[in-house]
Amino acid sequence: MAGMAPEGSQFDAKHYDSKMQELLSTGETEEFFTSYDEVFESFDDMGLQENLLRGIYAYGFEKPSAIQQRGIVPFCKGLDVIQQAQSGTGKTATFCSGILQQLDYGLVECQALVLAPTRELAQQIEKVMRALGDYLGVKVHACVGGTSVREDQRILGSGVHVVVGTPGRVFDMLRRQSLRPDNIKMFVLDEADEMLSRGFKDQIYDIFQLLPAKIQVGVFSATMPPEALEITRKFMNKPVRILVKRDELTLEGIKQFYVNVDKEDWKLDTLCDLYETLAITQSVIFVNTRRKVDWLTDKMRSRDHTVSATHGDMDQNTRDIIMREFRSGSSRVLITTDLLARGIDVQQVSLVINYDLPTQPENYLHRIGRSGRFGRKGVAINFVTRDDERMLFDIQKFYNVLIEELPANVADLL
Amino acid sequence: MRPILMKGHERPLTFLRYNRDGDLLFSCAKDHTPTVWYADNGDRLGTYRGHNGAVWTCDVSRDSARLITGSADQTAKLWEVSTGKELFSFRFDAPARSVEFAIGDALAVVTTDNFMDHVPTVQVKRIAEDIDDQTEESALVITGIKGRINRAVWGPLNRTIITAGEDATIRIWDSETGQLLKESDKESGHQKTISSLSKSLDWSHFITGSLDKSAKLWDTRTLTLIKTYVTERPVNAVDISPTHDTVVLGGGQDAMNVTMTDRRAGKFEAKFYHKILQEEIGGVKGHFGPINALAFNPDGRSFSSGGEDGYVRLHHFDSDYFSIKM
Repeated sequence: MAGMAPEGSQFDAKHYDSKMQELLSTGETEEFFTSYDEVFESFDDMGLQENLLRGIYAYGFEKPSAIQQRGIVPFCKGLDVIQQAQSGTGKTATFCSGILQQLDYGLVECQALVLAPTRELAQQIEKVMRALGDYLGVKVHACVGGTSVREDQRILGSGVHVVVGTPGRVFDMLRRQSLRPDNIKMFVLDEADEMLSRGFKDQIYDIFQLLPAKIQVGVFSATMPPEALEITRKFMNKPVRILVKRDELTLEGIKQFYVNVDKEDWKLDTLCDLYETLAITQSVIFVNTRRKVDWLTDKMRSRDHTVSATHGDMDQNTRDIIMREFRSGSSRVLITTDLLARGIDVQQVSLVINYDLPTQPENYLHRIGRSGRFGRKGVAINFVTRDDERMLFDIQKFYNVLIEELPANVADLL
Repeated sequence: MRPILMKGHERPLTFLRYNRDGDLLFSCAKDHTPTVWYADNGDRLGTYRGHNGAVWTCDVSRDSARLITGSADQTAKLWEVSTGKELFSFRFDAPARSVEFAIGDALAVVTTDNFMDHVPTVQVKRIAEDIDDQTEESALVITGIKGRINRAVWGPLNRTIITAGEDATIRIWDSETGQLLKESDKESGHQKTISSLSKSLDWSHFITGSLDKSAKLWDTRTLTLIKTYVTERPVNAVDISPTHDTVVLGGGQDAMNVTMTDRRAGKFEAKFYHKILQEEIGGVKGHFGPINALAFNPDGRSFSSGGEDGYVRLHHFDSDYFSIKM
C-alpha cells in the first residue's frame, strides 16, 4: 500500500527545485550544456530528406508539435539531446525522425539503439519508427524479452538499421554478439528517468560500456528529476536541453478528481459503481502490485463486469494479445500496474483510474498521461483512503494541480 | 438522442461520406484503412486495405459500386465497394488530399498538396467503366493556387470545379479549360484556412467551414455569399441537411493545443444552426477531441461525426428535431 511520503522525500518541492537550480546554473554546469534556440514551424523547413518527409506526411502529421519544432533539428545535427515534454505531445516522433534522418541506408548494420523500459512500449516505438521510415526502406527490429531468442538472433543476423529494445534482451544479444555495436552511432533512452533509476541503471551502464566510445546520446521523458539529470552528465557530451518546470508538467486537458473512499475495502464497490461509465469509452485502472491486479480482475469478473488485465508476470504472448485487443477497442477496461504507466498510446483511452495512488511521484503524471493524449481531453480519478489524503495533497502542491472531488454526473465528463 | 459509438479506427478520423441511398457510411482516418459501416445500426461491414498512409477523403459512386480514396501516401485509389478489392491506384508526387466523383462517375477530381518543390494541384482523372481500360492520365491539371487545397468538388452539370483551402479563397474553375471563372470576395469571405466544404443536395449552394471560427453559405453559380454562421471555435467540418433548413458545424481547438488547455476550452460539440435564420438551434456533445468530420444521412434522419478521438458517432434525430419551429 502507498504509505505517507515522509518529509524531505519524493514530494519535497524545495529540495527538487534547489537541486535542479544547482544542476542548471553553476559555472561548471554552464559548460556542460549546449544552447540551441531555433524553432522550426514546419517540417519542410527542417532540412529533412525527401523520403523522411514523405513518411512524416504519410503518417498524418501536418504541423510539428512544440517539442518537434525545437527537438528534431538538433538531434539531426548529431548533437546529444535531453528532451522533456508533457505526455502525449510528440516525443517519440521527435527521436524517430532524428534517427531516420541520420541512418546510412546502404549499410544494413545496426546504427541506432533505442531502449525503453517495457516490451509494450518498445513495440510501440518500433511501429512508429517503421511507419515514418517506410519510404526510406528502414529495417527496424523490436528486441524484447519474452520472445524467441533464436528468432531475434536470426533477424539481427540478417541485418537491421535500428534496434528498439528492452535492456535485458538487448544486453543478452550484445553479450552473445548477435547484435554487433561497431556501427552504432546513436543511442536513445526513452522514459529516461525510469531507465536511469535504480531498477535499470546497472543494465544501462552495462550496455553503454559495450557501445562505441564516440556515440550520440538522446534522452527523452515527460519527467526529468534532478537525480536523472545528474546521471546524464556521466555519459553525455554537452547536450542540448529542453526542460519543463515541474509545476508546468501537468496537462490542463486532463481533468483530475478524487473520490474519498475512506477505507481500502470500499474501493471495489466504488469501482463497480463507476463501471458503467468506464465502459463508455476506454479506461485504464492502475493498481500497485501484480497480485492486486489478479485479485481485482477476479473480483470484477465475479460481479459480471468485463475487464482485461496485464502485468509483468504474465507470459508475453498473453500480454501481446491483451494489448492488441485493447488497442483495437475489442476490450475497453484494462487493469494493470505501472507496467503501462509510461509511453503507451491508445487512441480512445479517455479515463484513468488510480485505484491505488502510485508509490513513485513521477508515475502519477505518467499514469494520468495515458488519457489526454495529443488532441484528446482526458479524465483521471483517484481513489483516496484516509491514509492517502496526505499524498494527494503533496501531489497537488508538487505539480501545481487542482484535484477536485468527483461530481455525481461523471458520465458528462467523458 | 443516444449515440451509437462506432469503434474500429485506431487513429483520428478525417472524413465521413454516406452513399447515395444512405444505407452505407464510409469513414476515413489516419490509420490507413477506410471502413464501411451499416448506416442504420453502426455495424462494421468491412475495410479497404492497401493504403500506406493517412487517408484524407473518399467518395462513392452513385450506384455504390465504387469507392475512391485520397491518401497521404501520395496515391488515390479506386476500390470495389462490395468486395474491398483494390481496382486501381493513381500515383502523385505529393499527398493526395481531396477526391470526388463527377455526376455520371466518368470523371473524378483529385487535389495534391504542396510538398517540397511541388505546388498544389487540382487534377481531373477519367474513370473507365472497364477497369482494364483505366489509365493514370489527367484530363486536366490546374496549378497556380498557393497553399494546400483542402477541398475540391464538382459544380452543377460537371461544368465547373470549386476549390477551397489554406489561402482562405474559394475559386470556381471551368472543368474543361481550367480557366479561373470566379473568386470569393476577400472582404466578406473567410479570413483563415478553409478546412471543409459540403454541397446541398441539389448542388445549388454549398457551405464552407474555416479556422476563422465561422461557416459560410455560398451560391454555387455566382459565388455570392448567402449566409454566415458564427461560432466560438475553429470549424473543421460542415454539412447541410438534405431535408431540413439546418446546417451542422463541428471542430474545436487545434489538436496540438487540446491537452495543454482546460477541458472547457475544447468545444467539441457538433452545433446545429438554422440555415436561413443563422441562429444556433442546439448542439450534440460526446467527442473528447476535435470533430474532424460530419455528414448528414441523405434521408435527413440521422448524422454522423468523426473526431480526433478516433470515434465515429452515429446519431438518429429524435422527434423534437423534426418539429422545430423558429
